[in-house]
Amino acid sequence: MDDKTTRDGAPGLDRRLLWRLAGYLWPYRGWVALAFCTVMAEAFLGPLRPKLVQVAIDRHIVEGDWNGLQQIILLLVGVLVVEAALSFVNDYLTQWIGQRAIYDIRTKVYRHIQRQSLRFFDRTPVGRLITRVTNDVESLSDMLSAGVVRILGDLFRIVFIASFMFMLEWRLALVTLAVMPLMMAAVAWFRRKVREQYRETRRQLARLNAFLQEHISGMKIVQLFNREAEELRRFREINDAHRQAQIKTVFYFALFWPAVQLVSDTALGLVLWVGGLRALDGTLTLGVLIAFIQYVRQFFEPIRNLSDQYNMLQSAMAGAERIFGLLDQDTALPEPARPVRVERLRGHIEFRNVWFTYNELPTDGQEPNWVLRDVSFTVEPGQHLAIVGATGAGKTTIINLLLRFYDVQRGQILVDGHDVRDYALRDLRRHIGLVLQDVFLFSGTVLDNITLGDPSIPFEKVQEAARLIGADRFIERLPNGYFQDVRERGLTLSHGQRQLLSFVRALVYDPEVLVLDEATSSVDTETEQLIQRAMETLLRGRTAIIIAHRLSTIQHADQILVMHRGEVRERGTHQELLARDGLYRKLYELQFLEQARSAA
Amino acid sequence: MGTLARLNPYFWKYRRLFSPGLLCAIASALFAMLAPGVVRQAVDSLPRFVAYYRAVEGTEAQPFFYAYALRGLLFYGGVILGLSLLSGLFTFLMRRTLVVASRHIEFDLRNALYEHLQRLPPSFYRKFPTGDVLTRATSDIEQVRRYVGPAIMYATRAVVLMVAAITAMLLISPELTLYTLLPMPLLAAGVFWVAHLVHRRSDALQAQYARLTSRVQEALNGIRVLKAYTREEAEARAFDAESEAYRRRMLDLARVDAFWSPIFLLLTGLSTILVVWKGGQLAMAGAITIGNIAEFIIYVALMTWPVASVGFVLSMIQRASASMRRLAEIFDTEPEIRDDPAWTDYSIRRIEGHITFRNVFFRYEEDGPWVLEDISFDLPAGGVLGIVGRTGAGKTTLVELIPRLIEPVRGVVEIDGHDVRRIPLSVLRRAIGYAPQDVFLFSDTVAANIAFGELEADLARIEEAAYEADLLENVRHFPHGFETFVGERGITLSGGQKQRTAIARALIRRPRILILDDALSAVDTETERRILRQLRRHYGKRTVIIVSHRISAVQEADLILVLDEGRIVERGTHAGLLKRDGLYARLYRQQLLEEELKQL
Repeated sequence: MDDKTTRDGAPGLDRRLLWRLAGYLWPYRGWVALAFCTVMAEAFLGPLRPKLVQVAIDRHIVEGDWNGLQQIILLLVGVLVVEAALSFVNDYLTQWIGQRAIYDIRTKVYRHIQRQSLRFFDRTPVGRLITRVTNDVESLSDMLSAGVVRILGDLFRIVFIASFMFMLEWRLALVTLAVMPLMMAAVAWFRRKVREQYRETRRQLARLNAFLQEHISGMKIVQLFNREAEELRRFREINDAHRQAQIKTVFYFALFWPAVQLVSDTALGLVLWVGGLRALDGTLTLGVLIAFIQYVRQFFEPIRNLSDQYNMLQSAMAGAERIFGLLDQDTALPEPARPVRVERLRGHIEFRNVWFTYNELPTDGQEPNWVLRDVSFTVEPGQHLAIVGATGAGKTTIINLLLRFYDVQRGQILVDGHDVRDYALRDLRRHIGLVLQDVFLFSGTVLDNITLGDPSIPFEKVQEAARLIGADRFIERLPNGYFQDVRERGLTLSHGQRQLLSFVRALVYDPEVLVLDEATSSVDTETEQLIQRAMETLLRGRTAIIIAHRLSTIQHADQILVMHRGEVRERGTHQELLARDGLYRKLYELQFLEQARSAA
Repeated sequence: MGTLARLNPYFWKYRRLFSPGLLCAIASALFAMLAPGVVRQAVDSLPRFVAYYRAVEGTEAQPFFYAYALRGLLFYGGVILGLSLLSGLFTFLMRRTLVVASRHIEFDLRNALYEHLQRLPPSFYRKFPTGDVLTRATSDIEQVRRYVGPAIMYATRAVVLMVAAITAMLLISPELTLYTLLPMPLLAAGVFWVAHLVHRRSDALQAQYARLTSRVQEALNGIRVLKAYTREEAEARAFDAESEAYRRRMLDLARVDAFWSPIFLLLTGLSTILVVWKGGQLAMAGAITIGNIAEFIIYVALMTWPVASVGFVLSMIQRASASMRRLAEIFDTEPEIRDDPAWTDYSIRRIEGHITFRNVFFRYEEDGPWVLEDISFDLPAGGVLGIVGRTGAGKTTLVELIPRLIEPVRGVVEIDGHDVRRIPLSVLRRAIGYAPQDVFLFSDTVAANIAFGELEADLARIEEAAYEADLLENVRHFPHGFETFVGERGITLSGGQKQRTAIARALIRRPRILILDDALSAVDTETERRILRQLRRHYGKRTVIIVSHRISAVQEADLILVLDEGRIVERGTHAGLLKRDGLYARLYRQQLLEEELKQL
């Protein structure tokens, strides 16, 4: 699989990539065929008009045939209207097809990313993933919409124009075509120069933007260190380099348009000269001459378009390579073929000699950097386990493993007697609820953040849960209540309020097992009481594992696990552990004593 | 449109480019307008040539006449080419002056904007996010440039071309001219209408693209929550909906975009057909020649773009004026913090460093909560002040008042007995070395970042500062020593290294007042100890203010302020505060415990 993505060097026009991309158009093949027909018809009708003009002049105007002229004029108008209509249909249809395919690819890429394990997210910057879903997909847009159809259309247009010219007067056609290499050379030269120059302009623009971005963000530092004059001088320099690059680009454009005009006028001059001489023999009529004058003008358009298409293909290839590279690697955790069926969990949890590291296991036999070492504990149904320890002791890792964000390297984690790897991920996580200390609010309403977009949760249930938790008071005080947008400017939910929201979220989902990561930051006494009552409501009748930062939690826990550097150092109830006067006592004094004092 | 009048001084400034540029525009249009006349003469001369040629058929004169006709026709071809060359030359010169002038104006405008930005205080940057300011400095300025350059160029050329063409056409046949021009106003109106719609819809498309991007960003940042609550499917569906909305916006745009070619095709095609129809009728009646028809066909082709550009120009002006309004919002913001000749005492050239706060109150918004309340203290020159307190207690706000990044709402901050508002800003800030809490380094070399505080510093001084900030050893290990780039283009510094670079940047100024705003939070205790030892050499000679959440950093201060919720709750020396057994003493004991735990 991998050789597809890591094939040698720069993305040229890799045929395999092209076919794979074309595969995304296959569902719309009927429409693609239609678009192709319209583009062909359009390519034919355009060159037909000068021909009709020639007929009008030679057969009707010169002959003085008024009726005939009117008929041909009607025909011309008809052709023009049909051509315009086809052009509209064709432009829109190709976009329609392309955007369908883009939609398919984009949603596929997104689903693929979302399925990946957390290990994948640990090592891949989110920014890069966003680029895949947005920019890279976008770069395929031109190719999948207009791309192929337009290339064919332009090629055929050139063929049709040439055919009409040859049919009218082959010698004159040859003379006109003689200018074509000149035209192509001019276009190619211009493309090359402008591409080089654009690269330079883009570079300068990027420098300019980077400077501005940096200095706007760091303006305070500039001002504090009296650097205004010096930074202005440097900005002028960068701004000037940008100006020079732009002015150089102006040069090429200034040269290009007159050059194109010159080539086209050369063709016109040649047509007049050679055509005039042909007229002397009586082999050439005025109408033909006038038709040729128009063909000379029509010819340029498709040539210029075609030269654009190569660049378009190239950037599409680069995007496609990155996208397929992502799609071809799958690190999603393996799901069991026959998962354990669960209606409800009893809530029995056991860690059995668990060893874990976030890094890949070293292959050279070196001892890995274990985050958990030989951790074992059991939580009976309905029991509450509190975990305490300094930062980096491995508390959060226990949560990550229980919810199977990662798989353990040694040992086993059992829920109701079954290994977590024997459950379908969905089932496992549906029945084990997580409440994190850094409450992450998604943009959307308060309600969205509670239901997390599950429409099957009735509104009454949300209100009921909010009431039980005691969050109803502040929610109803918000300008739009449950329908308040949480990201709206000026609205900031306090830390305590966010916590309460995440409790409501957990209660609404009603899991049998709760995993809580308590917040460390202090809240005022009123909120603290609210949270304490909410916790009682939430924990009642559920098995719970709590990373404890609050005094009442450790006081009420059935069992406390004291973690230090990845190991379980002490275990027991609050009173037992305090009596032992070991690690727990120190932790208690550090993390909980102040709470005990202020409560007193 | 009134806002665009602000640009008039620039036109005057670059009059040496604009006046020849406009003349070139006129010349190029006039020469281009002569070509159709030549074509007409060539076409009309043909029947004459043919008639003569037939007349001399079979005589010895025929070859001579053929040669004469050949030269005659060659002459017409040559004239066309010559006119094309002349017109091309002036088009070239026109772009080289007018477009270049617009680049100069862009340069000036951006410099002026940046210079103004440097004078605006932090309060401005709180109101306008970096991205917003950046957009104004880049794309809004570009919109304005299009007005001062291309729009004026197209407008001039269009007017001259149209006037010349219409005059020429009217001289030939007013009736035919009327018919030919019939579709032209529609073309201009159509182009304006489509351009307007295209801009509106691409703005809507961009907005949807931003929504799509932030949706992905948010989902991927909150992936743990999504996975924990098994909301992947719902989120994927929500993403589908955003993608679908994007597709629809894209098609909205495609629908108007697809109007471009039909509009051009129909209206110019219609003009051509009208020429053939009405012209044919007139030619049959003998009012005009067939050469006139060819001539008119070329006029139509020549006028297409100028007429269309009227539509484009109108739409450009519309956008430029909106952009100019956005720029004016920045230009019209007067810096609140600046020297004021009526108030500033320019005789103050030196600062000793005696700092006094007299009942200082501060808040960010007029009806917001107080961030600082009734702060008073007196710190003699050479004194050491320590400030401790929880996050959000107001420590940073307090020290930001000293370099006048913000100003008190009530009360006075004095240095050496002068209200800071009377001290010239540059004198005040030059005397202060400030290491802020959120370290901001520029993507430049380590040396340049340190010397940011002292433009003229030589390597010896840079090394000395680095040594005092305990950074020298680290720098020696960097790939290029002091010339190593930091940030995106170079190495990534650790949090502690960044902080120490920021401290070196403050120290190199040898400031009278040194402010370290929690500048040691990311370094370990051992490094902190070494840096403090270096700092101690300056105690008594410089005024030093250390903000810290770690007691160890402020222990030796002459005066320690304990802040809580914007008020000074305790003040005194280390020994005195310990004796009080208040908040300070508690923080101190916690820190000792933390140390102890680390040793375990």
